[in-house]
Amino acid sequence: MKNTLTGILTDIFVFLVGLSSLLAPFILPQSRNSEIQSSAFPIVVSLIIILCLAIVFIETQSSVLDNKMIAFLGVLISINAGLRFLENAIPGPAGFSPTFFLIILVGYFFGSRIGFLMGAMTMFVSGLITGGIGPWLPGQMITAGWVGQTASIASFISKKLHFKEKFGEVLVLTFFSAFWGMLYGLIMNLWFWPFLAGGAGSSWSQDASLLENLGKYGAYYLATSVIWDITRSIGNILIMLTMARPFLKVFQRFYLRFSFHFEGSES
Amino acid sequence: MLFPLSQYWRPTMINIEALSFKYPNISQYALENVDCQIEPGTLTLIIGPSGSGKSTFLRCINGLVPHFSGGTISGKIDVFGSDPITDGPETLAANVGFVFQEPEAQFVFDIVEDEIAFSLENMGVPRTEMHARVDDIIERLELSSIRHRSIHEISGGEKQKVAIASVLVTNPKVLLLDEPTSQLDPISANQILKLCVHLKNNSDLTIMISEHRLERLLPYTDKVIEINDEHKLFIGSPEQIIPHLQNVPPVVAIGKKLGLNPLPLTVEGFPDNVINNKKPGAKLVLPVLQETNSEPILEIKHLSAQINQKAILDDISFNLKQSEILVLLGKNGSGKTSLLRSILGLMVSMGEKYFKGQNFTDLPITRILDQIGYLPQNPSDLLFAETILDELKITLKNHGLEKTDQDLIDFLQQFNLAEKSHQYPRDLSVGERQRIALAAITVHDPDIIFLDEPTRGLDYAAKDLLSMLFKDWRDSGKGILLITHDVEFAADLADRVTILEGGKIIFTGSPSAAFSQFPAFQTQTARLFNAFGWILPEQVS
Amino acid sequence: MKNAYIWVLWLVNAIIFVLSTRNPIYLFLVLISLFILGNRKTKPQHRKAWFILNLRFLISMILISSLVNGLFTHLGQTKLFHFPSNWLLIGGDITLESLIYGAVNGLIIGSLYLSFNIFNLALSVKQLSRLIPRAFHPIGMTATLALTFFPSIQQRAREIKEAQMIRGNPMKKISDWLPILLPLIVTSLEDAIILSESMTSRGFHAVSNRNQENFSIISLVIGTFLIFSGWILNLFDYPQVISIFLYVVGGSLIIFILLKKGCEFRVTHYHRVSWQKKDIIFCAIFLIAIITQIIFAALYENNFSFTPYPQLSMPSLNIGGFLLSVVPLIPILASNHD
Repeated sequence: MKNTLTGILTDIFVFLVGLSSLLAPFILPQSRNSEIQSSAFPIVVSLIIILCLAIVFIETQSSVLDNKMIAFLGVLISINAGLRFLENAIPGPAGFSPTFFLIILVGYFFGSRIGFLMGAMTMFVSGLITGGIGPWLPGQMITAGWVGQTASIASFISKKLHFKEKFGEVLVLTFFSAFWGMLYGLIMNLWFWPFLAGGAGSSWSQDASLLENLGKYGAYYLATSVIWDITRSIGNILIMLTMARPFLKVFQRFYLRFSFHFEGSES
Repeated sequence: MLFPLSQYWRPTMINIEALSFKYPNISQYALENVDCQIEPGTLTLIIGPSGSGKSTFLRCINGLVPHFSGGTISGKIDVFGSDPITDGPETLAANVGFVFQEPEAQFVFDIVEDEIAFSLENMGVPRTEMHARVDDIIERLELSSIRHRSIHEISGGEKQKVAIASVLVTNPKVLLLDEPTSQLDPISANQILKLCVHLKNNSDLTIMISEHRLERLLPYTDKVIEINDEHKLFIGSPEQIIPHLQNVPPVVAIGKKLGLNPLPLTVEGFPDNVINNKKPGAKLVLPVLQETNSEPILEIKHLSAQINQKAILDDISFNLKQSEILVLLGKNGSGKTSLLRSILGLMVSMGEKYFKGQNFTDLPITRILDQIGYLPQNPSDLLFAETILDELKITLKNHGLEKTDQDLIDFLQQFNLAEKSHQYPRDLSVGERQRIALAAITVHDPDIIFLDEPTRGLDYAAKDLLSMLFKDWRDSGKGILLITHDVEFAADLADRVTILEGGKIIFTGSPSAAFSQFPAFQTQTARLFNAFGWILPEQVS
Repeated sequence: MKNAYIWVLWLVNAIIFVLSTRNPIYLFLVLISLFILGNRKTKPQHRKAWFILNLRFLISMILISSLVNGLFTHLGQTKLFHFPSNWLLIGGDITLESLIYGAVNGLIIGSLYLSFNIFNLALSVKQLSRLIPRAFHPIGMTATLALTFFPSIQQRAREIKEAQMIRGNPMKKISDWLPILLPLIVTSLEDAIILSESMTSRGFHAVSNRNQENFSIISLVIGTFLIFSGWILNLFDYPQVISIFLYVVGGSLIIFILLKKGCEFRVTHYHRVSWQKKDIIFCAIFLIAIITQIIFAALYENNFSFTPYPQLSMPSLNIGGFLLSVVPLIPILASNHD
């Protein structure tokens, strides 16, 4: 899974554009005083995110996606979308979701591209299955994609610390999944925020500073989402600690079988 | 072609020269120095124990090996002018169709006709032509009744038929089938093999099939390739190869025993005069079942169960004795698996259940399972630990028991697994996995063992090992309830037979009666010597 | 109306109208239309549950958004009560206007949610997955495979759970799920290998022509950047012409590249999309509605809009707005079986 220069540059571009679209209500407090734009805001953000997703998808298709990876992802996405239905069936804290577990492990093991695809397509397929196609979907897809993509950073860290195939690896993953458990909710609420308190002349009125807007968002986040995010993080920690090791071993065994390439015949 | 002669120089359609192949990271050759020619329009049967390289050999012909598996390959393959080694499987797809062992895993779409159209879509065939070709193949293979159905609703046999249709739709010249019937019951398997014969007789397809059920195909087979444990190939006509096999179909075994020459290969081909000469003077008296005196360890009284208001089990009463193998026969949907599940408490049912005289009808499922070991249809469902030993320890822990490693290794001796006790279960062969699953469900030493289709997908050698194992268990006092479609396997083991039909017991009695009097469950021996009450080759004298 | 493209047009039309009007009366009309249509699209036995669920969602959205806006925004002249101004963030006047403004936000969220909900109801999972453009053929394939495998994986998960239960697994702690998830994933990955062999041997190519990949990706990046900057410029007081120019250039570039990529996959599709007479009429109606709205938006600013600030007033109404609010109801004219 080589990262080409174009690959890295597109990642950076997508990350910057995607994130700044989501953060636009905060970084652009002096924007035009038009109320129509405020209600259309999330939709435009979703459209731009769709374009970002398209870039990553095309890039991935041309670099790492072969027949084996397609079947591999298809089956794993199917399992992961199914795990969302198990959420209530598995004993654990409320908001506990095993979905991130597989996304993170796949990104950790198979690299940033496959990780991104795993995250984004899991959200897409479970959206299809549950009838959850909507303007929120692109945001979910790119955030879950980032979860899988950044898992390759966790892989890099454990490699640098010589944690690979040791318990330290599980700790890195656990910390990482706890971190994303919190961050995911924070980012997804960001998308929704302009709907609730959007509109020039209202919550990000011209005289309001960036700090004040952030404060309002913070208050809203603490009131509505933080409990869920904390339980999700705890769930992620528990599931990583108990299951990461055996799953990594399974991926280790399958890694070779999914990555063989024929190099030419012996004469 | 400039010279018509050039056709003469390449008379064979598939030509393999000095082919050797090694899987990555494995030093041993999977195939070594293979030479083989297959003529167009012929049917070639590939036989041999599992793991011998049958699948590898077939995959070489469409390029999945080495393009998919990796590894190193040398030698030459020519399949109708294209070279799988350089061209790869995507290019060979138009000329070579491949049908896999697992019916479900090979499907891309969930609707039958979509699945059939898949390879045409990949070839970029225009839509109108695509519809015509799909319609044509659906008609030819008689699939019109299921063309709009979901692949999750149709039977295993229908799935394989769809798989065949979805490769035949491109009009390939070669059809490769890798154990297409090993996951099917005998009736579906027969349909698939019949279809192969039909295709051979009614088209110019070149068919290569690896298969354990030789009976149906042998009369139409032009060439047999035997691959043995050491990955050596023996190629010849059926008459040349079959007599020398270690494990032969019962009819061949009888022929050998009676010293017939030429050896009969099928029941139909068995010389009538041999049977007629043996005609007994007296009227046949079937042996009456020897009732053993031992106490029943499991007694079921008036068990009934329903699913969606439809009766699945209807007033079933039977018992299982100590040191007994009770075989439960029945067609698909007759309620066999439901019966096991009802007894275990996995399904809601009415009726009474007694274990060694004690009523356990209302016991919680965990208590029932302390006494009964249950092997589900798919043994892979059970295995997840890193080593075989861990797998056993997990069962023990679930039952609150403990044993030392040495005890467990001794226990594994009977499964022929003792020296593999530290290996990863999933890396082992199908037969070994099956035995690991059996070890995992019996390590807490239950008195009763339920087995649901334990021989599915196994080769002769693996079946023999199971057969020995079950007999040992019987002799040590366990009661075994065995569900199987494999009549030859069952006839060898059964102490008593019960036949289910539509959720009712229609017969309970001796094996010789069951395996000779019910056409659906007749063994090959019984088909030949029906009047003698013989059901196994060993009984023929 | 079985044609997925018409439903896409229907959805686009509904979104544009909902987002361009902040007039609560129009939004009410749209919501009523959507509720009627959605009721029709739901199976009779689920209708009541569907209605209650969506109504509850709508009401809670209205409550939450008026609360949030009311607490955080202190504009407007009709003061209801006053929080001490040293209270962090929420200190200040609580006004009727800001509550109303929030409630309108709630109506918008509710209408959007309901439109997508109906869109999901109207189209099957299959139809939805076929909307993935051909340029993403390999990635669309992962979605198709995931959907195909979904029922059998659910089934297998049940079987494995049962098998492990029989083996004595107590199913109490999180770690008790390992014996289920691990066999599930291993068996499924083994299946995945066969699946990819099966796809490969039936001529599936994941890889298109790789020569011009960098060109395509760079063009997509440029196109996206153009649209993004057009949007940012529009947020500030730059002339709208610049933004429109950037949208058009960026959009055409992206569409061109995706069409070109789509052609690289030389696959055909077995299923045809049916275009009956009715479909064409519906298609025309929605297209006209969409184009009208775009023209109106370009020529007259805020013609359907409404704002409660600075002092609450009666929203102005016109016939065009009424007409556009009932356009989403049109599919009800087609019978459910069409």
